[in-house]
Amino acid sequence: MKPGLWNNRDFLAGLLFVVLGGLAVALARGYPIGSTMRMGPGYFPTVLGGILLLFGVYVLLRGVRSGDEVKGEWGYRPLALISLSIVMFGFLLDRVGMVPAIVATLFAAAAAGREFRFKEVLLLAVVLTAFSVAVFSYGLKLPYPLLGGY
Amino acid sequence: MQNPSIARLLVLALVLGAAHTALAQAPYPVKPIRFIVGFPPGGSNDIVARTLAPALSEGLGKQVVVENRGGANTAIATELVAHAAPDGYTILMNAPGHVTNPSLIKLNFDPIRDFAFITRIGEAANLLVVHPSFPPRSVKELIAFSKLRPGDVNFGSSGIGTSVHLSAELFQYMTGVKWVHVAYKGGGPGLVALLSGEVSLYFGNLPTVIRQVRAGKLRALAVSGLKRAPAAPDIPTVAESGVPGYETATWWGLSAPAKTPPAILARLHKEAIRAVNAPDVRQRLEGVGADIIGNTPEQYAAFIRNEIDKWAKVIKAAGIKGE
Amino acid sequence: MEILNHLAFGFGVAFSLENLAYCFAGVALGTLIGVLPGVGPLVTIAMLFPITFHLPAVPAIIMLAGIFYGAQYGGSTTSILVNLPGETASAVTCIDGYQMARQGRAGPALATAALASFFAGCVGTLLIALAGPTLGEWALKFGSAEYTSLMLMALVASAVMTQGDAVKGLAMVVLGLLVGVVGVDVNSGMARYSFGVPELVDGIGFTVVAVGLFAVAEIVVNLETREPREVYAGKLTGLMPTARDLKDAAWPTVRGTAVGACFGVLPGAGPALSSFATYMLEKKIAKDPSRFGRGAIEGVAAPEAANNAAAQTAFIPMLTLGIPATATMALMLAALTLQGIATGPQVMLDKPDLFWGLIASMWIGNLMLVILNLPLVGVWVRLLTVPYRWLFPSIILFCSIGNYSVSNNPFDVYMVAVIGVLGYVLVKLECEPAPLLLGYVLGPLLEENLRRALLIARGDPTVFFTRPISLAFMIATLLILVVMIAPGARRSRQLK
Repeated sequence: MKPGLWNNRDFLAGLLFVVLGGLAVALARGYPIGSTMRMGPGYFPTVLGGILLLFGVYVLLRGVRSGDEVKGEWGYRPLALISLSIVMFGFLLDRVGMVPAIVATLFAAAAAGREFRFKEVLLLAVVLTAFSVAVFSYGLKLPYPLLGGY
Repeated sequence: MQNPSIARLLVLALVLGAAHTALAQAPYPVKPIRFIVGFPPGGSNDIVARTLAPALSEGLGKQVVVENRGGANTAIATELVAHAAPDGYTILMNAPGHVTNPSLIKLNFDPIRDFAFITRIGEAANLLVVHPSFPPRSVKELIAFSKLRPGDVNFGSSGIGTSVHLSAELFQYMTGVKWVHVAYKGGGPGLVALLSGEVSLYFGNLPTVIRQVRAGKLRALAVSGLKRAPAAPDIPTVAESGVPGYETATWWGLSAPAKTPPAILARLHKEAIRAVNAPDVRQRLEGVGADIIGNTPEQYAAFIRNEIDKWAKVIKAAGIKGE
Repeated sequence: MEILNHLAFGFGVAFSLENLAYCFAGVALGTLIGVLPGVGPLVTIAMLFPITFHLPAVPAIIMLAGIFYGAQYGGSTTSILVNLPGETASAVTCIDGYQMARQGRAGPALATAALASFFAGCVGTLLIALAGPTLGEWALKFGSAEYTSLMLMALVASAVMTQGDAVKGLAMVVLGLLVGVVGVDVNSGMARYSFGVPELVDGIGFTVVAVGLFAVAEIVVNLETREPREVYAGKLTGLMPTARDLKDAAWPTVRGTAVGACFGVLPGAGPALSSFATYMLEKKIAKDPSRFGRGAIEGVAAPEAANNAAAQTAFIPMLTLGIPATATMALMLAALTLQGIATGPQVMLDKPDLFWGLIASMWIGNLMLVILNLPLVGVWVRLLTVPYRWLFPSIILFCSIGNYSVSNNPFDVYMVAVIGVLGYVLVKLECEPAPLLLGYVLGPLLEENLRRALLIARGDPTVFFTRPISLAFMIATLLILVVMIAPGARRSRQLK
């Protein structure tokens, strides 16, 4: 396989569709399909998965032929850090409370940026924590623990 | 002189021991209480909880905060409370899903043993209504009509496993008629379908549906409770119309994690009964069609056990599968 | 005319100091929660529910209603500024609104959104007053067959949504349809693609999908390069729309209002679908469709008008039929019921002060909203000059809190991260997110109604053609197909 394929835009897109479509069909095999006039729960997902798979094959082959590359570079680091910061929020809120969760999320997200100035991020954390607590806990009376989990 | 630090340690230990004992009999509550509701805001469950919460807060002296954890027909909320700390700061608003889910989906908790049942707050009967173009005018006529046309009559519901659906399943189970179930996503669409005639009959939530009946858009055949509904004393019950023993209702109850200390449970029970019988709460709940019950923990627990068995039979006979 | 008497009476009710104050409180609060993603009118009204016990019925419903339609105004703010839909219906506004912001035209975009919303709100309110019961009855004629053909028509038209590559765009619609399948199947009760996870049994929430695909993916794209990338490149040209802008936005606003008013009455269709539908319509009839997706002001005016009109007419089933079409309406209905007021066919006669007072206050509320939102445009635009390294962590934070607040479940937040990753990959591979979102909205409705229509018709497919409204949609679908294929065939022949 040409190493260039992994940078081939349509190849990857097609591959993604093939994988997702294939998964959809495979997982739907456990659901009764029924008939066209009396569709079971498995009918729609199977048909959709199949269509996606076909589209995927088409796009994949088209990509191999055209060789168009993915523009720019993949931002693995920002992607990982942003995802981590979001996940951390969900994980921490119930366990250590809203305030630590907000601070952790902000620091992790800020780390995904190009520059990280500690004092700035700290100030941002303080301001946003105050704002969030004011709006969500006092303003909207959402019952989230501020410090310490449930 | 004896070692001063040992003496100090002993004193500290004594003090801590005394404090611990004092804390164990600490006043309850000292912080807000989470009132977990298994539906998103807007449903009758949530409305009853929000109507009750202020009165409970008043009696307990600390805020009772409604927390919606909707999903899987209350299974998510119920699981959360089953595994919550049994310190009296987490209570659950039960709904009929509690007794029907065990027969429909796989649960990560025991619906009986993991809970301390406090009281059954109330219940509201469903109203069996039909579209005006549908010929039967009484339950007896309905049964006769349906027996002549098995698989021909459509009934609507607000979703599989809901009280609307299962009321109809119980009816079929007890009378032997065979209807076709047409499910909708929620009570709103279900009611619209009935009004437009897309389905012929529906076991609807009484306060919502009675308006349409009084306006002549729907015809009421019977109420689903054991006794006639105060809001509609002119409508007979299903039981007295030819299906003796028929009884379904939407109900609401209060429970807590199983190992919650008895003293706290007693306090919660006392306050719940007081709140439920407070005149303004009573008036509001009855306004949404609820019959206040407020029984003892033992009665409530027995009710739960009976209901689980009853619905297990009906669900199995109807062949309903959740997952 | 009797209507004028009623309206005069209604204004009398609405203009009391108490009712004006509650109206303002409602719309201001509504705007705020509209701006915040995730937190919506439903949660807020639920929070305020006990307060309504101590208020008389008229101010209570005026305030709650204000929160509801006020949220639609605020929802477009973050959509335009940072590609983050504040309300579900504002997702479509992201497509062109955000591009306008990046070109330095955030001000005109925000202002146009406010003005279009005001127009739509006024018309919507007028419709309730003049034709409320009639529209309500019309909505009742919509059965499963009609919904099916309508969704089919929208699905076929969705090819219009794609900016670039048609095949990938269609694949995205299909992928969106699949994402919509996750969860319990209404017709059989079977949980699909839930992997035994209880939170997936109710499907993946719209907020999760929209926030992940649009906002999160966009942020990662902006951070991926090592050299600083100017996110908001255009020079800030001005706060208000130009005369040209207003002229361009005028007819789309009117059309959007019409579409939104019709869709809003249909239980289950809702503001989100109406904003998609009107966007597709505008793009289809535009002289230069390629402008859409690059900052076309029509792409902001029409959806905003649609979702506001829908927000007003959504009250019709609740007020005139006593049927709560959505959970938010159910809450409002309950608030009224607890006050001892039964809405339904009789409410106009039994409680005219409530009905007409509410109508008048909705009009007042819309006026308050535009007065509130237009000056704020300057503030919001100023926000964009904040360095991006401060802006994006804040966006991520509000995405997280907002999504958590939908069901108070950390799982929703985790899903945002997952969808965000998927969204980033899709954007890098030049697959557009908007068609996916459309498929996600349409899919469940289409499948549910198709199967139900066939169930009721006992497997007879002619039902879609024998019922008049359904037949009309099927013919329209066919026409759209023909129109789409024919020029395409001509073009490919020319290319050869």
